[in-house]
Amino acid sequence: MSSRRSRSRQSGSSRITDEQISDLVSKLQDLLPEARLRNNDRMPSSRVLQETCNYIRSLHREVDDLSERLSELLATSDMSSAQAAIIRSLLM
Amino acid sequence: MASTSSPAAAVVEERESGGKRKRGGATGESEVLGEEAQPSSKWRRRRVHEIYSSKLLDAIRLVRSGSGSPASAAAAATQPRNRAVREAADRALAVSARGRTHWSRAILASHHRRLQAARRARLREPASPPSRHPTSPPGKGPKTPALARKAKVLGRLVPGCRRLPFPALLAEASDYIAALEMQVRAMTALAEVLSTVSASTSSSSGGASSSPA
Repeated sequence: MSSRRSRSRQSGSSRITDEQISDLVSKLQDLLPEARLRNNDRMPSSRVLQETCNYIRSLHREVDDLSERLSELLATSDMSSAQAAIIRSLLM
Repeated sequence: MASTSSPAAAVVEERESGGKRKRGGATGESEVLGEEAQPSSKWRRRRVHEIYSSKLLDAIRLVRSGSGSPASAAAAATQPRNRAVREAADRALAVSARGRTHWSRAILASHHRRLQAARRARLREPASPPSRHPTSPPGKGPKTPALARKAKVLGRLVPGCRRLPFPALLAEASDYIAALEMQVRAMTALAEVLSTVSASTSSSSGGASSSPA
């Protein structure tokens, strides 16, 4: 029955290989800002994880700053739906 | 004050000028399969940026109308409004993810839970305990304690990923980073447009009042 298939899928997911993990780690490394500075030599996984955490934190801070800025801009400007349509077209 | 030349924004712009940005109107083949799997290309498409920018604009307009008349908005503390804008931006980002990632579902689920809790508090119904996933399925974990510690920190940073097995956590983090970068690009662009529009509006109204009859 289908239970056998789902069981084999479960055991299949636990047999993720080291190679797949190191592939994911290197993909993550390529997203990091330092990946452009180095010549993409493999960083140790712990370093990649550390830098990933730092990068996510800095992106969060950036989004917070932008939220604050947008919030201030909202407070000072009143926006009709006509203005919103103009703004929307400017963003495209 | 928000800085305009932060490291993250500089990275995002440089990567774009490297020519990885996809324009709409390419052949349908580029839309198929492999492209969808790559988070960095998925979040760089012009279309998703446009969709997100539009949702973002709607979301923050709602925040503004939610704070009531201009008088009360001025009187209200700015911090809750900042947070409301941030949360609206995050929700719009999660919706743009189309429900295929843990982090996006977690953002929308936590918002939904909060709405329900507020609703229940108003109606004074007994609160139902929040449903939790059972313990995460066994997966290949990181080998060393140092890696495990960092993986745990990462799991706390990415929404809804505390209990994910290591490979899924890495995949979620990749997608989340690409999405956050798009969010930064879109919010920056919106802030620029808004500040330009409001600057020109105030200067034109000032000019009109000073022009001779």
